[in-house]
Amino acid sequence: MIVSYNWLKSFFNSQLPEPKKLAEILTMHCFEVESIEKKGTDWIINIDVLPDRAGDCLSHLGIAKELSALLNKKIILPAIKIKEKKEKIKDYLSIKVEDTKDCRRYTARVLKNVKVGPSPKWLQEKLSACGMNSINNVVDATNYVMLETGQPLHAFDYEKISKEIIVRRARKREKILTLSEKEYVLDENILLITDTEKPLALAGIKGGMGCEITEKTKTIVLESANFNPKLISQTARKLNLRTDASVRFEQNLDPNLTEVAIERVASLIQELSGAEIVSGIADVYKNKLKPWKIKLDVENVNNIIGIEIPKKEIIKILTNLGFTVTSSGKEALIIKVPTSRQDVVIPENLIEEIGRIYGYDKVPAILPCFSEPAQRNEDIFWQNKAKDIMKELGFTEAYNYSFIGDEERAVFELKAEELVNPVSNYYKYLRPTAIPQMARIIKENSKFFKEIEVFELGKIFDSRKEMMYLSGAILGKNFDSVKGCLNVLFEKLGVDKVSFSGIEKDNIWHKNKTSTIKVGGKIIGKLGSLSSNLVELLMIDDAIFFEINFDELQKHCSRKKEYKQISYHPPVLRDISGTIYDDSEIEEVAEAIKNSSNELLKSVEVFDVYKGKGIPDDRKSVSFHLTYQSDEKTLDSKTIDSLIVELINKLKQTINWEERK
Amino acid sequence: MSVFEVKYRGKNMDFSELKNNAEKELDRIANSKELKEFSDKYLGKKGEIRKLFSFVKDLALEEKKVLGQEINEFSRVLEEKVAEFEKELKKEEREKREEGEKVDISTPGKTIEMGHLHPMTQVKREIENIFELMGFSIVEGPEIEDEWHNFDALNIPKGHPARDALSLGKTFYLKDGNVMRTQTSSAQVRYMKKIKPPIRIIVPGRVYRYETTDASHEINFYQIEGLLIDENISVANLKAVLQRFLEQFFQRKVEIRLRPSYFPFTEPSFEIDMRCTVCEGKGCSSCKRTGWVEILGAGIVHPNVIKNGGLDPKKYKGFAFGLSIDRPTMMKYKINDIRLFHSGNLKFLKQF
Repeated sequence: MIVSYNWLKSFFNSQLPEPKKLAEILTMHCFEVESIEKKGTDWIINIDVLPDRAGDCLSHLGIAKELSALLNKKIILPAIKIKEKKEKIKDYLSIKVEDTKDCRRYTARVLKNVKVGPSPKWLQEKLSACGMNSINNVVDATNYVMLETGQPLHAFDYEKISKEIIVRRARKREKILTLSEKEYVLDENILLITDTEKPLALAGIKGGMGCEITEKTKTIVLESANFNPKLISQTARKLNLRTDASVRFEQNLDPNLTEVAIERVASLIQELSGAEIVSGIADVYKNKLKPWKIKLDVENVNNIIGIEIPKKEIIKILTNLGFTVTSSGKEALIIKVPTSRQDVVIPENLIEEIGRIYGYDKVPAILPCFSEPAQRNEDIFWQNKAKDIMKELGFTEAYNYSFIGDEERAVFELKAEELVNPVSNYYKYLRPTAIPQMARIIKENSKFFKEIEVFELGKIFDSRKEMMYLSGAILGKNFDSVKGCLNVLFEKLGVDKVSFSGIEKDNIWHKNKTSTIKVGGKIIGKLGSLSSNLVELLMIDDAIFFEINFDELQKHCSRKKEYKQISYHPPVLRDISGTIYDDSEIEEVAEAIKNSSNELLKSVEVFDVYKGKGIPDDRKSVSFHLTYQSDEKTLDSKTIDSLIVELINKLKQTINWEERK
Repeated sequence: MSVFEVKYRGKNMDFSELKNNAEKELDRIANSKELKEFSDKYLGKKGEIRKLFSFVKDLALEEKKVLGQEINEFSRVLEEKVAEFEKELKKEEREKREEGEKVDISTPGKTIEMGHLHPMTQVKREIENIFELMGFSIVEGPEIEDEWHNFDALNIPKGHPARDALSLGKTFYLKDGNVMRTQTSSAQVRYMKKIKPPIRIIVPGRVYRYETTDASHEINFYQIEGLLIDENISVANLKAVLQRFLEQFFQRKVEIRLRPSYFPFTEPSFEIDMRCTVCEGKGCSSCKRTGWVEILGAGIVHPNVIKNGGLDPKKYKGFAFGLSIDRPTMMKYKINDIRLFHSGNLKFLKQF
């Protein structure tokens, strides 16, 4: 809200603090001052009025009342002088409110013989200081009184409307052309001000064309009303039409303010244009809002703020803010809340008032008593551990959005949950996988980096269920090095029973260059290349990707680790080479070697896989380094030789191994 | 006949002359080759000392004993001196050789590739650690929330102006009516229902806001919300805990101030400003010339939220706070565009 320093000054007899000092006081005790700026002889103060106080503080008087409480200075309200004609308003106008829940109060006055013309200089200056254009003396007066009191007001040309004003919901597909010459198509959730024939205004938001004040206007109807905040807020958002009026109506404006404001504006227009005021106010106000009471326990105030504020001080603060305070017993106070403060309903609201005026800077910093030690969060523990391992393996952590766009969904042929209100086509669906985003990282960074290793640990979404996934992308390394990295990850997380096997045909993954990742026999992820189709569509280098369901993986994570006895006897290394069927899995061969050996075999390591010349078409050649070692003695070559012979014989039978010489 | 005049090579030989000669020769030795020759001459298998012994063995017993001892002593001294001399010569030779060896220390260090954690992961861990040391447990919640937990539980019922502002303006909706959480506080109410006070938790996580993105606005960002519930909790406690946290995080003395603010889930509510660390409060571009930087939002938990957590608001009070992880990360590393966090740009990520 833009506030004029000179305008604020006009409510006080004595001097106000300097503008900068005033801004600081407001910031520390009421609302943040976003900026102050000198403009001619005035200072323009931009105040960020908090939403719960928009009902009473989006006005110069509202801010002045705050200052009055803070500076202990009395406010002088502007004088209201009304000279009424004999004619009665009921002969001019009747008001009908269809639903008093939609319109809590509708107040109107009729003014005759208005001379519409330019506003005097003082008025133009004040409006301009607050960023408003001058239109004519009548419209300017309504805007001026709104900026002064916070009550939005509207003026209609009486000659252009029928004698009845009706406040009703719009009909489906009913239309209105607003003052800004824009047409809106309405529905039953929108409140209108109408006469018997046509819509006159979007209630609480903007006036309509056809009944506006012009130079020819002689008689005017002034409207000062109070609408259901929710209705106005929703309409303003739906039509994307937020005005000075709607911003105020969206909060709980005081329905008792309509009368004060209409008197003030009538008096001002009379003064500016010599208008005659028709006797009486047309007022529909069924459920009058009356002040309410809250019981406040002084001890509770001090317990919550954490400092002893004397009861006398509390009473003074609340009284200065416009509350009526009476004592009830030793410690309790009964607080009567004025209707302008509909934000105050529970004792805590009053405690806030006391605290902010008293000043939080006076509250000491006292640590709470120690209660109990924190508990370790297992999910976070394993997430951190996995991230650290990936980092140690040389991977860089990336964060991707939870959303993907039309393009990714189409290219990767994904099923994805769509947002009702996406910000754009790029962030339209909940991602069911992070692979498209990983592919993008590879594509965008491969211009600058020959080798890329990235990972992300984040949520993915599958039919509204969210799952933690570890995803990665690697450029410049082959399949087995990446598989090796994952093996380290699994080992360091204490996960065993990991196996890899081939996949079925898939939209995303390359059928012959991808493996599933299984833990305890259950598939929890994939590792491999993208399908040739995708590689070509995306125009990316041939990278390796992986994704692992971390929720599933975590179930197998373990902190257990046991020291293995170190042997002081020399290890004996032997290599074996042989052929197996082409579709056999090398992991399984390694497993078979282990199963066919005794405890002297310490490690099995593949060092060559070969297909081609000299090998039958349906077979492939594999070579292993085998390491034998005993804990008790140095092994002689005769022992090893016989072990190897025995091993090869077994392999012949179990996996159709054919020794190569 | 003196014991030192013995017959040697058929001649009378002066043993002391032999000793003198040996010492003189030793002094003249300049390198290990000469030392080897000397050692062979005197101490070798056919050396002078052996010769002396072979001569002595024919002497009378008494003479043999006296002279034998003398020669033994001479031999021992000579061996010692040769050994010492040899050590010295070797050291000299090594030093000489070292003179010729050289590494160009001005060669730049070789770049070692290592992994990197996202800057926000690092800052998030730092914040979590500090709060854990103060007894706060880390709790997580779902990113897809029902409307009740995202709004109602936090005292933002339907019809509340803040509900419209948040639900119509800032919230992503799914077709089933669920929302992408706009803050992590919803987990707090879940936790209150499970655990009896005293409660000290922080809830870190990704949150979602409908925004037009620019250098300081994102649709995905990160928050840590905190909650402390106990029987006697005051603004003074809130002040102390948050001040301690900021001092630990920024590793320096920190001055804070509480400004009145409004959040539906706390009453009273505050914005907490920290004295600008760039200009020490004098006013600079980082603090928009105010000398203060807005660092977090906080307040005393609204009685309705305590009630929604299944607790008695008469008995239990508490404070809650929320801070973004993005902003302190940007402050810490002077990052000027929030969008870099989700860019996947390795030139950015590899700096951390």
